[in-house]
Amino acid sequence: MNIPTSPNGSPNHGTRRSGVSRRTFLKFSGLAGVALIAGRFFRRHTLGAVMSPPDSPEGEGVITEKWVATSCLNCATRCATKVRVVNGRAVKVEGNPLSQVSEGENCARAHIGLQVLYDGERIAGPLKRTNPVKGRGIDPGWVRISWEQALEDVSGRLKALREAGRPHQLLILHGLNSVSDEDLLHRLAESYGTPNLISGEGLGNEADKAGEWLADGHYSQSAYDLGRTNYILSFGASILESYKPLARGLRMWGKIRRERPDRAKIVVIDPRLSVTALRADQWLPINPGTDAALAMAIANVIISEGLYDAGFVARWTVGFEEYRQLALNSYQPEWVAGITGIAAGTIRQIATEFALTRPAIAWRGRGATSWPGGAYASYAIFCLNALVGSIDIPGGVTYQEDARLRVMPAILEDDVTRQGKGQPRLDLRKTVLFPAAEVVTNQVADSILEGKPYPVEIALGFNTDFNMSAPGSHRWDETLAKLPYYVHAAPFASEMAVYADILLPVSTFMESWAYDYSPPGSGFAEVRIKQPAVTPLHDTKSVADMVFELARRLGGAVGQSFADIGDSAEGFIRYRTGPLAPWENLLDEGVWVGPDYEYFKYDSIFHTPSKKFEFRSGNLDAVLRQTGQTIEPLSCLPHYEPSRFLGDDKNYPLILSSYQPLMDVENGSQNYPWAQEMLLVVHGVAWNNLAEMNSHTAAALNIKDGDMVWVESPFGKFKVSARVFEGIHPGLVSIARGQGHYAYGKWAKRIGVNPQEITGVDYDRLSGQAAFFNTRVKVYRA
Amino acid sequence: MNFVTLDGRSGAYRLTVAILALLTLGGFAGFIISYLAGHQVFGASNAVPWGMPIVMAIYLIGLSAGLHILAFLIYVMHQDRYREVIRAAVFMAIVLIFGAMLFIALDLGRPEKFWRLFMLFYLNNMSSMFAINAIFYTAYFISATIYLVSLLNNMKRFSLVMGMVAFGWAMLTHGGTGAIFGFIAAREPWYSPLSPFEFIFAALTSSLALLIVALVIIYKSTGRLLRQELIVSLGGLVKALLLGMLLLMVIGELTHLYAPSRDAVVYTLTGPSSWLFWIFLVGLGAVVPLVILFHPRAKKSLSGLVIASVLIVIGIFVKRFYLVIPGAAYPLQYYPGKIEGVWGALGTYRFAPVEIALAVGMVAFLACLFILGLKYLELLPAKQPGEDAVTETPAIKQTTGELNSGAEGR
Amino acid sequence: MVRWGMVIDLDKCTGCQSCSVACKAENNVPHGSPEEHQRRMTPFWHKVIAVSRGQYPAVSIDLIPMPCMHCDDAPCVTVCPARATYRREDGIVVQDFRRCIGCKYCIIACPYGVRSFNYKEQEEKEYHRPDLPPERADRGVWPFPRRVHGVVEKCTFCFHRIDAAVRQGKKVGEEVVPACAEACPARAIFFGDLDDPESGVSRSLASRQSFRLREEMGTSPKVFYLPR
Ligand SMILES: Nc1nc2c(c(=O)[nH]1)N[C@H]1C(S)=C(S)[C@@H](COP(=O)(O)OP(=O)(O)OC[C@H]3O[C@@H](n4cnc5c(=O)[nH]c(N)nc54)[C@H](O)[C@@H]3O)O[C@H]1N2
Ligand SMILES: Nc1nc2c(c(=O)[nH]1)N[C@H]1C(S)=C(S)[C@@H](COP(=O)(O)OP(=O)(O)OC[C@H]3O[C@@H](n4cnc5c(=O)[nH]c(N)nc54)[C@H](O)[C@@H]3O)O[C@H]1N2
Ligand code: SF4
Ligand code: SF4
Ligand code: SF4
Ligand code: SF4
Ligand code: SF4
Ligand SMILES: [Mo]
Repeated sequence: MNIPTSPNGSPNHGTRRSGVSRRTFLKFSGLAGVALIAGRFFRRHTLGAVMSPPDSPEGEGVITEKWVATSCLNCATRCATKVRVVNGRAVKVEGNPLSQVSEGENCARAHIGLQVLYDGERIAGPLKRTNPVKGRGIDPGWVRISWEQALEDVSGRLKALREAGRPHQLLILHGLNSVSDEDLLHRLAESYGTPNLISGEGLGNEADKAGEWLADGHYSQSAYDLGRTNYILSFGASILESYKPLARGLRMWGKIRRERPDRAKIVVIDPRLSVTALRADQWLPINPGTDAALAMAIANVIISEGLYDAGFVARWTVGFEEYRQLALNSYQPEWVAGITGIAAGTIRQIATEFALTRPAIAWRGRGATSWPGGAYASYAIFCLNALVGSIDIPGGVTYQEDARLRVMPAILEDDVTRQGKGQPRLDLRKTVLFPAAEVVTNQVADSILEGKPYPVEIALGFNTDFNMSAPGSHRWDETLAKLPYYVHAAPFASEMAVYADILLPVSTFMESWAYDYSPPGSGFAEVRIKQPAVTPLHDTKSVADMVFELARRLGGAVGQSFADIGDSAEGFIRYRTGPLAPWENLLDEGVWVGPDYEYFKYDSIFHTPSKKFEFRSGNLDAVLRQTGQTIEPLSCLPHYEPSRFLGDDKNYPLILSSYQPLMDVENGSQNYPWAQEMLLVVHGVAWNNLAEMNSHTAAALNIKDGDMVWVESPFGKFKVSARVFEGIHPGLVSIARGQGHYAYGKWAKRIGVNPQEITGVDYDRLSGQAAFFNTRVKVYRA
Repeated sequence: MNFVTLDGRSGAYRLTVAILALLTLGGFAGFIISYLAGHQVFGASNAVPWGMPIVMAIYLIGLSAGLHILAFLIYVMHQDRYREVIRAAVFMAIVLIFGAMLFIALDLGRPEKFWRLFMLFYLNNMSSMFAINAIFYTAYFISATIYLVSLLNNMKRFSLVMGMVAFGWAMLTHGGTGAIFGFIAAREPWYSPLSPFEFIFAALTSSLALLIVALVIIYKSTGRLLRQELIVSLGGLVKALLLGMLLLMVIGELTHLYAPSRDAVVYTLTGPSSWLFWIFLVGLGAVVPLVILFHPRAKKSLSGLVIASVLIVIGIFVKRFYLVIPGAAYPLQYYPGKIEGVWGALGTYRFAPVEIALAVGMVAFLACLFILGLKYLELLPAKQPGEDAVTETPAIKQTTGELNSGAEGR
Repeated sequence: MVRWGMVIDLDKCTGCQSCSVACKAENNVPHGSPEEHQRRMTPFWHKVIAVSRGQYPAVSIDLIPMPCMHCDDAPCVTVCPARATYRREDGIVVQDFRRCIGCKYCIIACPYGVRSFNYKEQEEKEYHRPDLPPERADRGVWPFPRRVHGVVEKCTFCFHRIDAAVRQGKKVGEEVVPACAEACPARAIFFGDLDDPESGVSRSLASRQSFRLREEMGTSPKVFYLPR
């Protein structure tokens, strides 16, 4: 322990300054002073002896300290961060003020990054399976192998498959990865020659994206100019809990509430009183799956009252007349009130406010769109923005610009590549089944189980956990067990990793090189750097380095496609970001921000046959024709398709819903105590998830708060703790996502339930988006 | 009157000491575990911050402080018939306050820093009821010890003075303990100016009841003659004190219930653990003893008095338990409305094995000290000839004169 | 004389709990386990509580971030026998691990439940970071360089940051704020000198109605809330 010194003693000595300040100290004289000094010695002695074990690191103090600019990967927002590294250990994460998308702010999970990095249950090195039997709860019998052995094994298999001329029988799955890693995976698939690069997006927002594509040709989530908007109408977008880019939503919420003279009004349509809804000005608990009807009724009011932006509609849109007819004839508020459960008066009120409080935004989230017919719902909601002229204006919908990263040389194709890419895809996208789909993640499981259109030889999975996150999750268990050779790359031994033949440990985002950007949000381009804040803790590699190594070993067309793009993760990032800024600056600042956003680009933003905003979708028309389908009067118009449910309402009277609470860390594992102990803020509940149900519903079922209940669907059942709650639609049972793990580690395992285990499999037909909210259940006391 | 030591060579005595020593060891082990592993091994939590050790501490303080009413009765009320038990009672009081202080020390998260409690005025915050009570406890302990020494040495005048001093400190000690609770505005069920007085009455009641039980046990097991008249008059006192305590309690609860912020108190009176209150405290701890003590025959029968006393001793223990644990369990209302989940949930408490071992061990330790004291100090009145055979006198006799001839007569 | 205070704008607040986690990270506050959480033994220096009123569909829920209120008239200071909790001249109510004897009286006396007892030694080496908080020089000997069980802990208004800033002549409230305020993505938390009418906190208090928690307790908290 240390000697008492003056308050300005050297920092590394752990200067002793007790509650008695120096001045007071000097005031004492004579005996009192002696007594005081004696007291301090005595105190120190007693305490020191008892409490600082010999190995106490006291006095160590801060020897080295640095701030590393990097970025988060706990959700797709991928915010810019600064990590404080003390004595080689990452100790704190803060926002990077240079980032403009969220004005330098992060969400709560940025801090959880520390526990991702230091999770004691990460995979420490490559593992190989010894037990050929695969299944849930079966010990794979891992043995540690070297990277050399692991990569040799994988590349040997890959090479053989390719040499056999069947590259399409390689399946690559990926969930949330850094953008640079995704770019490389894309290149790997392209050059290897497989059409089967499947992202997790088919579980996420495909219907949402398709909705915008139907209207303006951008197959993408929408960007909103939040800071300037005056009115937000959220259809199932959980702006404060999940909707990406989340940190931007959180930041802008503060801004539009109290940092401007006029406070924006926010109305939330959600059957559940989400955090967003409870913080909003008005909450409208809608009947599940009826958002499209509500959107059309709002259009009905706006059009019939003549409140729409006639100038914009006339100049920059087509198909308005058909849309007008449809809205006026089929969606009278009184009729829609019966469907949505929202009173006609309320519909009129929000429609009028929405049209008169401009600029206004109609915002759609998974809640409204992850349904059969979700693309039309998304389309219907998006069209409201055009009605009030909120397209590419300050405070309205904006069009996300991409960063001008260095363009990579074209990949090298040989015959094998071309042959493989010509094969049909496992996910059946762009077929009659899913005519406008970009990826149909959940279909892949069924295709593999049926062996159609061809069996899969090798599968590589990067950062996914589909047997937890996809509806009908057990199908993925069977699928994975059936794969002849599966390689899983992730930092954690997840539910999916248990099925791997080779398990490749990935460095976490604080140990890796990458570039990243957010999903659409700000409009202007922004790129963030990931650089290692600490030296990797274990014998791990980043996805990028892995891909480079595999490409080198594969040689040929693949090898050459990866030849001149940096050769390593770091090199690749440097290569790609070259045109943006000098490398040192980039590393220093961590963020590159593009030029200011320009509004009103009406002559270039509409990627539609008419080059205008389309109330009747020409894009869809073309696709339907291509796939040889008949076009009905409603086919290309935004409209409400009566909700389709799995399970009959007699036996299964309630609807199963789920949501992503903020502390649900989207990289699957949830093995993070900080996230667990604050999981459900609205309920004051942690380390668990709950079957949330309305008090009337619960009373009718004789269920009390805290009771254990069975939630049973036609596809399975589980036992979970009931939460009797006023903030939820009486027809609903809502369960937070993130729990129900049976792998990972001690902070995740055997906590709560996973709603996907009893969710049925269904899709939005146009986009192939998995339906999440249309499974019926019954609930009874356990 | 002559006082003697206990022989203490009988097999039963040794066996008792051995058993108590063993239990003490268990308690010590419990303490070591709690010291090394932290208070996670106890039953308390941030919602119910104090547990068994504090219940025991305040209970023992009460038992101890109340015993000094004997000195008050002897010297001020001239009730000399109590003289024959005064030495044992004072010794018991010392053992109990020592035990109480030990309990408090062992409940400290950092017991090795207990000395900080006694750095009066220098390193202490003298507005803390805890620090003030440190003065009370210490002074009381010291004065009671001096008092005992004066009794043992037959220093008559000095005994009188010290008896009164010890009585004064005892009352302050227990009133002060009541203030530890009564002065806390954040806890509705505790917050009351009556609290110190209620504590004093409870202390007097429970300790007299305990004295009755202890006397009966000691006299019987050592083959002494117990004057029933003595016990009966003590019973009368207990009755009066119990009534006083109940009166204060009723006034206290009514004041709490009258105020609009009554939720926590309503919870303590009607909540899921309120049966403890109604059955053990009100029913068995007050009503039944009162019935006995008012019953014309029962109030004079030894067994009736012993039963009433045992019930009171238990009842007041439950009162203490009820105050410390369910009394703290009602969630604080940080903000109007229903606070959801764990932050608005009732505090929970569970009986933790380590904590029980600690409490039992401590009590055994104190009992052990007490019977060792009986062996080494002249605490018990010398036996009258022939007492070995008779253990109970058949009827009440006028024995005042006899008592006056005791060694300590003025 | 400065008097540090905090203003939390509930209209801006998004209930995201960044404040709560950032506090844990900054001050190396140990995490709990499911059982410890259920038993209310997990230490929290900061928490966000949910308070509900009404019935479906007219239900409202408030989310209230709660650090220590740093009461000007703090019951915890009054009751602490060991002077382990004391009010600094700048109004920050400090909790000194070294002096604390662990009597828990302050937990009993605090009307806001913001104090936590440290119930166990943290065994999780991966989360126990003795090198935190790094500005040891600013904290002097406080808190215990190595966290021990058996003492009470609570929010310190991040005085290590404040003191360092004052010494370096930085503007507290603008350049330097407590970790929770810094982490708040909605910028709903303001920190500054309540006695300076020009400070951000004073101006935001002047601009709108405000309230404090449990004012009837007479504790004069220095954490103010701006309602919606
Ligand atoms: N915390 C956290 N944030 C994340 C993620 C994460 O895992 N955790 N993941 C990221 C990803 S991949 C995505 S895709 C986004 C998704 O973000 P969002 O698009 O916001 O989707 P969810 O979080 O699934 O929220 C769905 C909401 O819809 C409501 N809902 C359910 N049914 C209906 C309905 O019929 N109508 C309406 N109007 N509402 C309904 C639910 O109650 C819930 O509040 O979040 C991203 N952000
Ligand atoms: N009930 C319910 N289910 C849902 C949703 C819902 O709202 N409710 N949302 C759906 C949505 S929108 C989506 S997008 C999907 C997401 O589902 P998935 O794409 O399957 O993503 P996660 O479940 O988050 O799993 C991510 C995996 O990445 C690994 N990982 C973590 N960090 C890293 C890293 O740094 N590098 C690498 N290489 N790997 C890492 C983890 O081990 C984990 O296995 O879930 C869907 N499932
Ligand atoms: S919004 Fe997503 S990327 Fe940003 S800090 Fe939160 S978890 Fe990380
Ligand atoms: S809130 Fe509680 S801990 Fe903080 S100063 Fe006030 S009484 Fe003390
Ligand atoms: S527990 Fe510590 S801080 Fe609290 S009152 Fe006791 S000594 Fe003071
Ligand atoms: S001021 Fe500092 S210690 Fe207090 S809650 Fe905020 S971050 Fe935690
Ligand atoms: S960080 Fe800010 S917005 Fe989030 S809960 Fe705390 S105060 Fe509210
Ligand atoms: Mo997603």
